[in-house]
Amino acid sequence: MDNLREIVKYLAKKKVRFADAREHLFREREINTEDARVEQITEQNISGVGIKVLYENGWGYASTSGTEPASLRKAADRALALARNADRSATGTVELAEEPRHTAKFATKIKEDPFEVDISDAVGVLLRAGETILKGKDVIKANSRLVFRNMKKKYANTEGSVIETDVFTVLPEIEATARANGEVKSRHYWPAPMNAGYEYFRGLDFMTNAERIAAESREHCFARPCKTGPTALILDPEHLSLTMHESVGHPTELDRVLGYEESCAGRSFATMDKLNNFKYGSGLVNFIADNTLEGGLATCGYDDEGVECQKWHMIKDGILTGYGVNRELAYKMKMKRANGTTRATKYCDVPITRIPNLYLAPGKKSLSVEQLIADTEDGIYIEGMGSFSIDQMRLNMQFGGDAFWEIKKGKRTGMLKNVVYNAISYEFWRSCDAIADERYFKRSGFITCGKGDPMQLAQMTHGASPARFRNIMVRRAK
Amino acid sequence: MNKTNSIIEKVLKTPVTDHVVVCYGKNETHNIRFSNNSVNRENLFKLEEEVKVEVGYDGRTGSYRTNDLSEDGVKHAIKKAYEAAKLLPKDPEYMPPVTKAEAAKIKSFEPVIGKLSDAGKYAILRDAFGELKKAGLNSAGSLSTNPYTTAVYNNKGVRVSHSNCFSALTLTAMTENSSFRDSYISKDFSGYDGEAFISGIIGNARLSKNPASLEAGKYTVVLGPSAVEELLMMFLWYNMDAKAIDEGRSAFSKRPGERIANEAIHIYSKPDHKKAGLWPFAPDDAMPYIGFDMIKNGRLARPWHSRFYAQKKGVKATGRAPANVIFKGTDKSIGKLISNVENGLYVNSFWYIRLVDLMDGIFTGMTRDGVFRIKDGKITGSVNNFRFNQSVFDMLKNTAAIGKEKAMFYTSIPPITVKNFNFVSKTEF
Repeated sequence: MDNLREIVKYLAKKKVRFADAREHLFREREINTEDARVEQITEQNISGVGIKVLYENGWGYASTSGTEPASLRKAADRALALARNADRSATGTVELAEEPRHTAKFATKIKEDPFEVDISDAVGVLLRAGETILKGKDVIKANSRLVFRNMKKKYANTEGSVIETDVFTVLPEIEATARANGEVKSRHYWPAPMNAGYEYFRGLDFMTNAERIAAESREHCFARPCKTGPTALILDPEHLSLTMHESVGHPTELDRVLGYEESCAGRSFATMDKLNNFKYGSGLVNFIADNTLEGGLATCGYDDEGVECQKWHMIKDGILTGYGVNRELAYKMKMKRANGTTRATKYCDVPITRIPNLYLAPGKKSLSVEQLIADTEDGIYIEGMGSFSIDQMRLNMQFGGDAFWEIKKGKRTGMLKNVVYNAISYEFWRSCDAIADERYFKRSGFITCGKGDPMQLAQMTHGASPARFRNIMVRRAK
Repeated sequence: MNKTNSIIEKVLKTPVTDHVVVCYGKNETHNIRFSNNSVNRENLFKLEEEVKVEVGYDGRTGSYRTNDLSEDGVKHAIKKAYEAAKLLPKDPEYMPPVTKAEAAKIKSFEPVIGKLSDAGKYAILRDAFGELKKAGLNSAGSLSTNPYTTAVYNNKGVRVSHSNCFSALTLTAMTENSSFRDSYISKDFSGYDGEAFISGIIGNARLSKNPASLEAGKYTVVLGPSAVEELLMMFLWYNMDAKAIDEGRSAFSKRPGERIANEAIHIYSKPDHKKAGLWPFAPDDAMPYIGFDMIKNGRLARPWHSRFYAQKKGVKATGRAPANVIFKGTDKSIGKLISNVENGLYVNSFWYIRLVDLMDGIFTGMTRDGVFRIKDGKITGSVNNFRFNQSVFDMLKNTAAIGKEKAMFYTSIPPITVKNFNFVSKTEF
């Protein structure tokens, strides 16, 4: 940590307005299996220091894989030179919202370090799951993926903050593919990815789920095609995780709203004039952003600009009430403080505003999934994630799913296939008329959310209880 | 590189098994991102220098990637890869390291490294911002230069190395209710004509202003090179693997020998293409990339074969993906294609393309940054954006005209005219 403190002191003497240095170790072990073989096993261990400088109104960022003083000095000088160049083309002023000075440590609570466990243990579990899947009738392919990730960071800035974090992540998934009746269909088991240790992986039931997804992948091949037209959808938590990610998570990143992402990930319809007055969803819809959520993928104690992780309402009783905001934009927004959601993937990446852990709050009234289905005359129940696409303003969205069941007269009947639904995002959330209660709340999430230029991949948790949406346009995807 | 080269050579003198491969990569990125006509915080320089080590042991393979390029760091990577390999079950698709006879024969290359100074890069942007402001337009995008070196070493004597540089200026110009995007892609900006590039964008951005409302439906479209590239590459990526085709997991599985495209369409790979990215060998094993036809005379010519599957089938490996994708063009300009459309649309680019139905080759996505109405062979103004659900097989069959190729990073792709392109909904911002 002393090397980081020294380099920000060095930059302070160069009359920068702000600087920080982040030592960042990224470790990842990934196992991929195909049928009864290990397709690949990769491990990476990438470390270095990234230095960010604000000179007048220009930002610069440079990184180095070395941690010794000479390497840091070279990177610091480069970052300063870039910032000076940027300042020459600056058209506005840059100010940062205040953040208390932190001297802190944060670590994911784990019992077993996944990198210390013999790799053959996890490989054995995945291959047995693959064998189980391949026993399924008409199953032609079994795949699995398991990722263990560890990010250790040290952070120091010119305001005196000194922070250390140590985050562990586990992501498991298995997939069955069947070919029958002229169709090829896949089905997945996606346990929630978590910030956790190896013990989380040990606690998952792959074998029962392997049998289930093998059977359902075949059933999907024999499913009836859906009808085109408006209908009610009941969406499971895993499916909703993707929907909320695209239509709530990204639109509420303030850097998008203000045009910083226009050239790549796009902008947002949820502009600042809509804050605290725009009806984003029905009155049942409450979205909580919470980077303090235990085990949440974005839970890291402090973000990569030294801001403490926080919890806030993104949407309250259907009204847009917040954004994900970095220090620069928090000042522009006249917010007292940024909300701790600025992160970078590796040492060489600039921290940018990322979706926080974000979940749809469960319904407040007692409501089971069975009651929700029983209360639906005609509709479709969708589980899991499938095709997904949304325009650059986050308005026109189309989603598929992993499995679909027809609902007729309050009962889940046979499986459907080739279902996609299309909606304008806020109209979709406004059509939400029921949410199951907290007993049915489940987490899901992502570790490959792409954003930035150069592209970075970030991780965040989502969650929901099953919810119903009325009058959604469903198409037959053929 | 010289120091790292010496370390790798030293370490390979005493290989831990008869299968040790060291892949070296050095990427130097200077990326200046801008938005609202100003450089923003993604104004960065990064030097990523890493090795990926692969160790085989008795029909098993482990790998490890690190940016610790000290002798101890490389040795540690080999040790970790070896330990991982020993713990794995035997792999029925195990492949030994590439031999010198199999490896790419690298004769000589003239790496074109970005020589533009930092000051020169910011000057390009300052000029662009000035013109855009004068035109009353906002902008966002990035200017990047990326010199890189990739090398493969193994204990069978293979030593191949290659350096090159990619540079790009991507710029989206915005009015209050529309946008237009274009990219200048080259090795090092040596041929950059800022005045022409920026004035082209300004003209199209002005033309995109105040988009008219138009309902979704089936239209004749002229797709710009970016739009064709985005959709075609997604289709090829999902469907061209030979093993997947044989196992019934590709849209080609149920179309053996069928006509799948207009006979004029010729899609192929040419590793030494003069304008698209130059990739002489696969960066993970040093196998030479080969030139081959993918779609020709309206039919699948040959799919992509990994090293393992090529050996099994007794054909040459193409790599899991080819070096580049070339869609053979003609000498017709985009303007010429537009002039032959009586009633249709010009689509500059697509966005967020995703698979909808694998076996029928159906993809969805949105139009973005420029959709224009064509009437009587002329652009008459812009329209709202659309969502499409489109079979790529239908797109290739319904291709009525092919224009002049535009070289991009790993492709060279022409604009095309397609009949009955299927837009299913619209968006108005």
